[in-house]
Amino acid sequence: MSHATKAAEFNKDEAKVNWHDKALWYVREKRDKSAHNVQGWEYLRQLGSNIKANVLSNLDEYLVQFEANAKNNGVHVHWASNAEEHNNIINDILSKHNAKKVVKSKSMLTEECHLNPFLESKGIEVVDTDLGERIVQLAQEPPSHIVLPAIHKTKEDVDELFQEHLGTKPSQGNPEYLVGEARKHLRDKFLNADVAITGVNFAVADTGGVVVCTNEGNADMGVHLAKAHIACMGIEKIIPQEKHLGVFLRLLARSATGQPITTYSSHFNKPEDGKEMHIVIVDNGRTEQLSREDFRASLHCIRCGACMNTCPIYRRSGGHSYDYTIPGPIGSILSPGKDLKKHSSLPFASTLCGSCSNVCPVKINIHEQLYKWRQVIVKEQKQPVVKKSILKTAGVVLSKPGLYRAAGKTARFMLKNAPRFMIYNKLNAWGKARDLPEVKGQNFDDWYKKRQKNG
Amino acid sequence: MIGIKNDKKMGREAILKSVKQNKPELLQLPDINEASFEEDINLLETFKNNLKVVGGFVKEIDKKSIDTEIKVLHSNKTNIVSTTKKSALGTITIDKNTEPHTLENIDLAILEAELGVSENGAVWVTASNSIVRVLPFITNDLVIILKKENICLHMLKAYDQIAERHRDFGVFVSGPSKTADIEQCLVVGAHGAMSLAVLLI
Amino acid sequence: MQKKKIKVGLFIPCYINQLYPQVGIATLELLEKLDVDVDYPQGQTCCGQPLGNSGYEEDSKGICKLFVKNFKEYDFIVGPSGSCIYHIKHHFDILKQTPEVKRVRNNSYELCEFIVKILGKTDLGASFPHKVGLHKSCHGLRGLKLGSCSEVQEEHYSTEEDLLNQVRGLELMSINRKDECCGFGGTFAVFEEAISSKMGKDRVQDHLNSDVEVLTGADHSCLMHLEGIINRNKQPIKVMHIAEILNCSL
Repeated sequence: MSHATKAAEFNKDEAKVNWHDKALWYVREKRDKSAHNVQGWEYLRQLGSNIKANVLSNLDEYLVQFEANAKNNGVHVHWASNAEEHNNIINDILSKHNAKKVVKSKSMLTEECHLNPFLESKGIEVVDTDLGERIVQLAQEPPSHIVLPAIHKTKEDVDELFQEHLGTKPSQGNPEYLVGEARKHLRDKFLNADVAITGVNFAVADTGGVVVCTNEGNADMGVHLAKAHIACMGIEKIIPQEKHLGVFLRLLARSATGQPITTYSSHFNKPEDGKEMHIVIVDNGRTEQLSREDFRASLHCIRCGACMNTCPIYRRSGGHSYDYTIPGPIGSILSPGKDLKKHSSLPFASTLCGSCSNVCPVKINIHEQLYKWRQVIVKEQKQPVVKKSILKTAGVVLSKPGLYRAAGKTARFMLKNAPRFMIYNKLNAWGKARDLPEVKGQNFDDWYKKRQKNG
Repeated sequence: MIGIKNDKKMGREAILKSVKQNKPELLQLPDINEASFEEDINLLETFKNNLKVVGGFVKEIDKKSIDTEIKVLHSNKTNIVSTTKKSALGTITIDKNTEPHTLENIDLAILEAELGVSENGAVWVTASNSIVRVLPFITNDLVIILKKENICLHMLKAYDQIAERHRDFGVFVSGPSKTADIEQCLVVGAHGAMSLAVLLI
Repeated sequence: MQKKKIKVGLFIPCYINQLYPQVGIATLELLEKLDVDVDYPQGQTCCGQPLGNSGYEEDSKGICKLFVKNFKEYDFIVGPSGSCIYHIKHHFDILKQTPEVKRVRNNSYELCEFIVKILGKTDLGASFPHKVGLHKSCHGLRGLKLGSCSEVQEEHYSTEEDLLNQVRGLELMSINRKDECCGFGGTFAVFEEAISSKMGKDRVQDHLNSDVEVLTGADHSCLMHLEGIINRNKQPIKVMHIAEILNCSL
């Protein structure tokens, strides 16, 4: 189903669209205030971008360096070319520990690899511990936002879900009560978990350590109680040196939620005595994206979600309309690289307004990449006949002044004289909510010629 | 198991080979010009303001009155762990062999932090500050003692200060645990500590 | 000796030519008032943007070449549409970069920017005693940098505001979301009809909430979309291109 179809579906409930738009716009405004408060913010973004560009240009060396340092710290390092290998590696580690209960903190990578259903099929209980992720897990839905996974849910939705799954009392969606109940429910899961899985925000080549950022403290509650910690990372999470965290941690939370930093920025270098730490380094299509010169910079992404919060389309269509693990503008330039056919409508789900590129903390030229994907898609994917013939014809007509004059006349004649039912019918998407422009007596060409003649 | 090991090796070599083939020409790692971030601000006041913004409590106190201040903040706690000599309020003693699950019912943890960051109200807590890593997360309430002179301007300075350390585990903590995952309503006390008080000496 | 006048090639985008001749007329009259030598080259059609934005850049090469052929002789190419100018400046990279192509790309200006930056004028002697709301088109704002963007840490500036602030009697109203996209987006308006209309509706409401009487902007494609919504819903706002306002005198 195309983005447009899903977006139209979402727009049937206008009150909800308004709410969704306002909630995310509020986050965008917090981001502006917080970012603009930082001396040298634009330079900081440039630094973030340049460091990431260096990372991609030297990634193999950094990965090897990272691995060596991590191993020296007693960390087990694994490599997975794709989702299947990633899932199997994790399953092997769990089997070794005879683990049946797993707590997981937020990791878009494990979403991408569909780890949860895989482990569940092996009889392992996987509990997402970020509150938003737990909410969508209970609702059996994917996250609709990478930082605010349950932003599409109202507090009343959550109330009902918790009544059903956690046995809570009806509270008319009282957030404090619901969070309190979730805390109790998940504390039990933390205390009984065998293994904790986390994502990785940054992997530092020169120390071999990883950094995980949360507001809730769920990553730490999981890791410090379980016997083993498995951290899953895409290859592009590498940064060269620890001091570069000083750049990225300044950028990340401000861009994401407007906080000056997340509540917890945890630096995992060595396992606690008697415990194990594993890192799984995953490719899953990333090196392919690295090969595409025009789209390579999409791998700079630090997953802050700012492009979603600012995107006027995302705010009004909801994350599920993108039907990809990473929704929004950044998802629309990542997803075609994974499956061009399936995601071919996403680069068109944009007005190319450029706000995404302006908020991006690592200066990814998102809207320019959307434009470029469109060119690729038209070349490589079968296009709707009508759209194709209109645009191809336009290409010819508009390059020949004579044809253009004739076509202009016809179009103007039609607009002026065609009966209303012909213009505002079901096939005319323009006319559903908008009137067509009123046609004046003459076009500018005619006016100008007349004026020249009359001197 | 032999088969799996081979696969793993294939994964590693395949990824590194693919990166090598597909990466662009080397781009320079930029120098960081810290002068661009210089600001003439009051580090202490900014730190205090930012910590309040992120939901923390902060107070400058006399170092002789640490325990008195903590007692005012937390009057009727029973299970208290103090990992610093600066407070004698601890009722439970822990060492690095303490099983973390046994800290489930800790009411209050009192720790020392080595560094504070003015721009975001964060404090740097290491594994040796906590003795058991889970302590500052699993405790219901958290009090952190920080020397005023150990507050730096921003994160780049912070990483300079902690560059020489034993790297096992460390965490920047900025305020109490929180979530806004239900309709963007900010609720303090998600999974970690329900409150954070930073006492500046 | 008389100083040689700047020679300007007037670019009237296809949809303005056909549907909004009054915008073309205002642009021409305004430039003539400003004492530049304006010529309207015959045989001009379009900049190719509708094709490029739809992914048919390849098929637009003929259009782009025609544009360069029509405008290569002028000191400056000026048009009343930020997004078309943006397209010329940024997407004519598909042509072989001959000196002519480079010249046309470098010397193309959106009308307001041309007046403020090249001619150095902001007070054009206009008079327009109304409450006006400014819609900043994305391609003009974020593409051509006609003004500061709300996302970016920078000093506030706005080419269009500089001009409107000098118009006698004009009251520039402050809107809530200062530079949010209107949702036009070319073929997006049709292929993503639901979102496009909703975005437009929300923009119009913002202006209504701010007591705007006349909604203006430097890009008539956004205005066409917003006007379509206003007319459909019979809302009390008039839509005018900024050239029409700047060309008004009592």
